[in-house]
Amino acid sequence: MSRQVDLLQGTLELLILKSVSLGPLHGYGVLLRIIQISGEQLVIQQGSLYPALYRLEASGALATQWAPSENNRRAKFYTLTAIGQKQLDQETERWRQMSRIMGAILKLTTAPDALAEEAQ
Amino acid sequence: MMARLKSRLMLALRSLLHRRQVESEMEDEIRFHLEARTADLIAAGKSPREAARRARVEFGATESHKDGMRAALGVRWADNVLADLRYAARLLRKSPGFTAIAVSSLALAIGANTAIFSVANEMLYARLAIPRARELHMLYSVGKRPTVIHGSWGSNFNEDGFQYLDAVAYPFYRQLVENSHSGLEIFAFKPLDRLNVTANGQAQAAQGQLVSGNYYSVLEIKPTLGRPILPSDDAVPERGTVAVISYGFWQHAFGGAADVIGRSINVSGRLLTIIGVNAPEFTGAESAQRSPDLFIPITMVREFAPEFDKDLLTSTRLAWVNLGVRLPVGASKSIAEAALTNTFQASVRSGLKQKDGESIPTIVLEDGSRGLANLRTNRELGKPLHTLLGLSGLVLLLACANIANLMLARASGRQREMAVRLALGASRQRVLRQVLTESLLLSSLGGVIGLFVGYLGRNALPRLMESSFDGYSTNIPFNWEIFGFAAGVTLFTGILFGVLPAWRATREDPNRGLKETAQSATRRRSAWSSKLTVSLQIALSTLLVASSALFLRTLINLNRVQTGIQADNLLLFDISAPPARYPGVSAQALFEQMEQRIAAAPGVTSVTLQTPSFVSNSHWSGDFDVEGVAPVTVDKNDPDRYPAMMMVGRHFFNTAGIRIIRGRGFGPQDTATSASVAVINESLAHKFFANSDPIGRRFKDKEDEKHLKHFRTIVGICADTLYGSVREPAEPIHFDLYVDVKEFRGATFMVRSTRPPDALTEDLRKIVRTIDVDIPLTAIRTQRQQIDANLQQERLFATLTSGFGLLALLLAMVGIYGIMAYMVTQRTNEIGIRLALGAQRNTVRSMVLREAMLLCVLGVVVGLGTVLAAVKVVKSMLYGLEARDPASLIATAVILLTVALVAAWIPATRASRVEPMVALRHE
Repeated sequence: MSRQVDLLQGTLELLILKSVSLGPLHGYGVLLRIIQISGEQLVIQQGSLYPALYRLEASGALATQWAPSENNRRAKFYTLTAIGQKQLDQETERWRQMSRIMGAILKLTTAPDALAEEAQ
Repeated sequence: MMARLKSRLMLALRSLLHRRQVESEMEDEIRFHLEARTADLIAAGKSPREAARRARVEFGATESHKDGMRAALGVRWADNVLADLRYAARLLRKSPGFTAIAVSSLALAIGANTAIFSVANEMLYARLAIPRARELHMLYSVGKRPTVIHGSWGSNFNEDGFQYLDAVAYPFYRQLVENSHSGLEIFAFKPLDRLNVTANGQAQAAQGQLVSGNYYSVLEIKPTLGRPILPSDDAVPERGTVAVISYGFWQHAFGGAADVIGRSINVSGRLLTIIGVNAPEFTGAESAQRSPDLFIPITMVREFAPEFDKDLLTSTRLAWVNLGVRLPVGASKSIAEAALTNTFQASVRSGLKQKDGESIPTIVLEDGSRGLANLRTNRELGKPLHTLLGLSGLVLLLACANIANLMLARASGRQREMAVRLALGASRQRVLRQVLTESLLLSSLGGVIGLFVGYLGRNALPRLMESSFDGYSTNIPFNWEIFGFAAGVTLFTGILFGVLPAWRATREDPNRGLKETAQSATRRRSAWSSKLTVSLQIALSTLLVASSALFLRTLINLNRVQTGIQADNLLLFDISAPPARYPGVSAQALFEQMEQRIAAAPGVTSVTLQTPSFVSNSHWSGDFDVEGVAPVTVDKNDPDRYPAMMMVGRHFFNTAGIRIIRGRGFGPQDTATSASVAVINESLAHKFFANSDPIGRRFKDKEDEKHLKHFRTIVGICADTLYGSVREPAEPIHFDLYVDVKEFRGATFMVRSTRPPDALTEDLRKIVRTIDVDIPLTAIRTQRQQIDANLQQERLFATLTSGFGLLALLLAMVGIYGIMAYMVTQRTNEIGIRLALGAQRNTVRSMVLREAMLLCVLGVVVGLGTVLAAVKVVKSMLYGLEARDPASLIATAVILLTVALVAAWIPATRASRVEPMVALRHE
């Protein structure tokens, strides 16, 4: 149970960093951009965005500023910092590596020798 | 990594400081999200109500997300701590009895520890206020007893057959400076106790320190005003008529006047010019606690310390100069010692005659960073202070055990609460934190009050250790070290007594905790941890009560000691005659004049003077060669075999109330021109004249040889009296008339009168002022006060340990009562069944009592065992009893058992009154 949440959290933070890297956004804007760029395939609980945003802010990856929104309401805008850019690069690289490995594993159709032995 | 940590800390700090703003921003952000989403949904064709509902559903549980946001900000732990604190405070308020006992016992224990620590810290470990104090070392001459050095004016002590002396003769000091190529710069100094200073027309007693010309440069000290003493000041004997005064003396004698430099002051009859004022923190090389009032060039010694018939600057036979050096970090101590020893031994060989069996001392460097007096202070106060620290530490431990026990009992009552918390998903760590918060809150309350108690107590302690008539008091600073100590102790105790209940609280299986009720008839848990804590409490109390019994008996024994003098209605004061104004025998004439004038004062029965005074811890002795008997030779087995001596006036025996057993006392026929006479005491008669009649025999002191009347005829034997201290048994003493002594400078006057001391003192001051306006009366006290002062340390110990003992008994009582009452409540069902089945009420009562006594006996046995094992430590501090004094130990055991019985009586009686029907329904 808890492992799933961890995984989701990691992914969520990467998604947020990616969204914000394209330009400053408020929380709802982050949500809209994720939905938009994922082709509405990803379903996320909207509220859980905020603890993740706050965590990124606390670690210095995001900077914040209150500013008027597109419909002239006061909103909190998030921008990517240098620390955040570095984190985004690292996470992206890790994600690529992970998906390469996962992809290779999932492509297997027959058990390799070493694995077969271990299974016995 | 660092950048992230910093950003996190900054954010947490900002969030904590602007808590309300952070909360409202969180609200705003969430509201904006919900409204934007609602607007989008309406735009997509939903009805406003439906859109708002959907937006909320999609967002999820607002509160839990907010909590996540708070955790991200790092403010959640602060919320938790606050909540824990609030909860703990409510719990403590709900049981005021428990809180009062816990906080007050902790406050007393922490206060006692803080006060004693601050005194020990200052008296034993304070360093001199000079740059790089660690480098400072003092020179000691150390030799196997007996050593070739006979005459000394300094402080010496014996250890393992070696004599440590902190002084050397002046010519030897000069040779050390000139001939030892140790590369070290030696400075010399000498504390002077009795100076009469007339400043601003007021005669007063002052402390001085003679210092060498390089003293200030080696210590690297600059006066705040004027200039220091320089090498040119001590180059020519008698010519350095200058003085640097201490900051304190400048303030109280001159009111801090800026034009003090260049003024003249009369110091024991010599006019000195003030050239400088020291910085307030500088205390000289002798003590780190108090500064002498005046610093004077050392070559002026003849003017101010003339009680010797030798010339202090040229005689090799009197060791009196204290020496110090700076030994730079990294320099070899042994090489320096070897170089100094080499020169010193060569000087001693050429300057003194070595008798058979006498050793030539070596030079040893001892740590001087705390001042010369520290070695002595450490020897005198080190053990008592450490013992007190140990005992007060035990009190603290006992208070902790007591609170832990009470908390355990309360924790059992709260088992269900804990079980519910754990069952609802609180983590163990969270519950542990809650319980620890409670104990830390308690300990902090105790700590804060304790700090205050310690603050009040820290100056009371040294006041109990010093005599009020000394004229100076030690102020114990209350600094960060002390504060840190108290805070550390507080934290430590909080954790110490909190950890057991906390562990117990979280160890519970929630399932069992929820199901458990008092309905279970048999005791499932034996509550061993509580019982052991109670036994530990009893053991600690035994230790404390036993030590108070030992110290109380010591004090009682010392108070019973027969002084041999009639100490009531005796007023004492000290007078010294400055040699500049009263050279040679004119000092005796001055004292005789004073004696006569005071004797004629109204209300005065008789008057005499004496040197040294009784029970003042000073000891005078000299050779005792009886005519017709081989001189008393140096005896390795009995180096102290010379009898003590006391120089007295003619009316000494009737003033002090000492009985003459045979022969006669002194009379008007004994004058400065008649043949010298002496009175000896019984002990001396026994030791030196066991087989013959001492009366009519003559003896002399070798030092008297130059004196015309060097033989003294024994004319009487008096009853034994005490001499230097109440603790020392009567010893051989011979009493000589002061008019027969060549140099007699300082004396204690002894006035017998029934008038109240204050009124009498005023008259005495007037009389002395009419004789010489520059001579002050110092150290005015009654003989009783002097004897009491001699027992100050014992009284301090008896008082403090009795206090500790009483507190211990009280806490033990609370502990036993608490655990037995708790047990009776737990076992109400069982007792009800027993009674229903026909058990006698008396049987039930004795069952409870038996259990209490068992715990108590266990504790007492462990406690007494510890006492027997540890008592060696305090052996030297006891008087008139064995360290394993059976009476004290039995009394301790009886007291503790009685206390346990009394404390257990109420719960036991309550148990015996249980109504079976009520008990069976009891939950």
